[in-house]
Amino acid sequence: MDIAAAGPTSPLEPWPDTVDWQPVSRDLIWVELIRWGAMAAMLLVPLGILWGIFGLWPLGLAFGAVLVLMLWRFWSIFRAVRAWGYAERDHDLLVRHGLVVRRLSIVPYARMQFVDVSAGPLERVFDLATVQLHTAAAASDARVPGLRPAEASRLRDRLTALGEDRAEGL
Amino acid sequence: MVIDEPRRRLHPLSPLLRSAKALVVIVVALSWQTLGQVGIGWFALMVLVLLVGAIIMSVVSWYNTGYHVVGHELRVYEGLLWRRTRAIPLERLQSVEVVRPLLAQLTGLAELRLEVVGGGKTEAPLAYLSLADAAALRDRLLAIAGRPVAPADGATEVAGVAPVRVPGDGPLLLAVQNRDLVISQLLTPQALSLPIGVAFVVLQFGFDPSWSFIGVASTLTAIAGVLLQPVRRILSDWNFRLSRDDTALRLRFGLVETRSQTVPVDRVQGVTATWPLLWRSQGWLRLTLDVAGVAGQDNGNGNETDRLLPVGTADVAERVAASVLPGVVLGALTFQPPPERTRWFHPLARPKLGVALTDKIVATREGLLTRTVMMVPFARIQSVRVVQGPLQRLLGVATVYADTARGRSAALRDRDLAEAWWLAAELAERGRVARLAAPDRGPVVVPAPALDPGTAPLPST
Repeated sequence: MDIAAAGPTSPLEPWPDTVDWQPVSRDLIWVELIRWGAMAAMLLVPLGILWGIFGLWPLGLAFGAVLVLMLWRFWSIFRAVRAWGYAERDHDLLVRHGLVVRRLSIVPYARMQFVDVSAGPLERVFDLATVQLHTAAAASDARVPGLRPAEASRLRDRLTALGEDRAEGL
Repeated sequence: MVIDEPRRRLHPLSPLLRSAKALVVIVVALSWQTLGQVGIGWFALMVLVLLVGAIIMSVVSWYNTGYHVVGHELRVYEGLLWRRTRAIPLERLQSVEVVRPLLAQLTGLAELRLEVVGGGKTEAPLAYLSLADAAALRDRLLAIAGRPVAPADGATEVAGVAPVRVPGDGPLLLAVQNRDLVISQLLTPQALSLPIGVAFVVLQFGFDPSWSFIGVASTLTAIAGVLLQPVRRILSDWNFRLSRDDTALRLRFGLVETRSQTVPVDRVQGVTATWPLLWRSQGWLRLTLDVAGVAGQDNGNGNETDRLLPVGTADVAERVAASVLPGVVLGALTFQPPPERTRWFHPLARPKLGVALTDKIVATREGLLTRTVMMVPFARIQSVRVVQGPLQRLLGVATVYADTARGRSAALRDRDLAEAWWLAAELAERGRVARLAAPDRGPVVVPAPALDPGTAPLPST
């Protein structure tokens, strides 16, 4: 079959954008900010102390580089969280995320092996949870963070119900 | 009603065979050094004591090991202090292998290995059974695995009473000439580098007599290590026979350790064809089989998948491929290369890359020197991913992955963005249609809509 001949979609609205994307909670921004803030502190504080003591310019350079990187990361977290999205279609779950490397996963419900719902301490403080769908392929990447617990359990129940309906062998 | 059939033990000779294996381990563990220190008499005594210990352990372990089939499960019981019962759901059976190491061949025994989805390693090796028992159990397990799950109204059939389809050895599809096998393994970088290595050693020794014996010995060991892979391939693929009946593939191969593997055709996750550079003069290629749960050969070359054809000409490969993936003609696949503007990513290989879709499979071609074509049936796609890195975004391209349960993904590299979206939608949709159309286990909820290749099948939502 000729791939090139197959007209894709309207160039104005390519198909992944026509899907009804659900955003994840904005509170995920705070979770991510704190997580990256802690990481930045762990790198910057020792670097800063060493720089203060020895006054070597490579340490200062590393300090500056890490600082710039972290500031850029903080700035991009806002957009990164907005880039997360999921959509439940009739037969599959779509998940998209990523700013630098953009990813879209299409996971059919029938291929689902099990569903994980997890919530770390930081996520619990902000009343969030993560749902992850596992298939028999390790490479499948269907993780939806930043869901309200109610939404997370609704999604989990829906996924397992659909998975049971369409359960198949491999 | 399920009759609880009695638990069966492994063959009474198995503890002896296992102890023989242990003997080797003991001697190696004690090492030459110990032999030098304590003298031959004490060494023999130590080996004897440890061997007796190993035999007692094996006998105890044998006494406590049992297996039986309950409904759709194979249960394996193990252990004296730490009891372990494994229930292996046979619906998940991917392939069964009867393995006969040298000692087992001499004693007429065999080991039965099951591959189940999700098992990182081979599940439940039953070592050892008599050959007849192993073959009978294999056929029975396959018959149960191929049968749809009994309806939930309690009318469970008695396992083994009415095997729906017991795969026998179907017509022989292919027999690989041992001569071709040896030549093909001589045409590998490892074997071709042998003269260079030997010349190096001889030269070093000739010009520099002070070069110590240790130096020569370690160089020779290194050469032997390099040669190990081709030699091992020859030994393991010796006398390769492939046959197929209507449901399963039968593969027999091996010289020292003979293996007979049975793979139900509907459990094949994909087929990969490889044309190594050095084989081109002969026009040969190799086919490998992707089966979920077959933990590759853990012998250092981790990417080794299951063999389907160790070496063969295009005609033979065509026939074999068609028997595994019906309707697929390897030579007739027309590959679309990625767009011209991606030549900076693959300055030389770009025209060799490509993607082909047929009505059953998606195929990707890669590699400039060693060309590989990976074929994945739509029905076996687990999930579809579209990934676009920053450089790819600059050029407006993206890579589409079709993930399979084997852990390898077919990568449709650097497709034009619009085409990538279309491919992703298409793979997802065709995967769904193919799943519904396949005579698969489990209830089918939605009738399969007809696949119309003329329209761009966008998702209905």
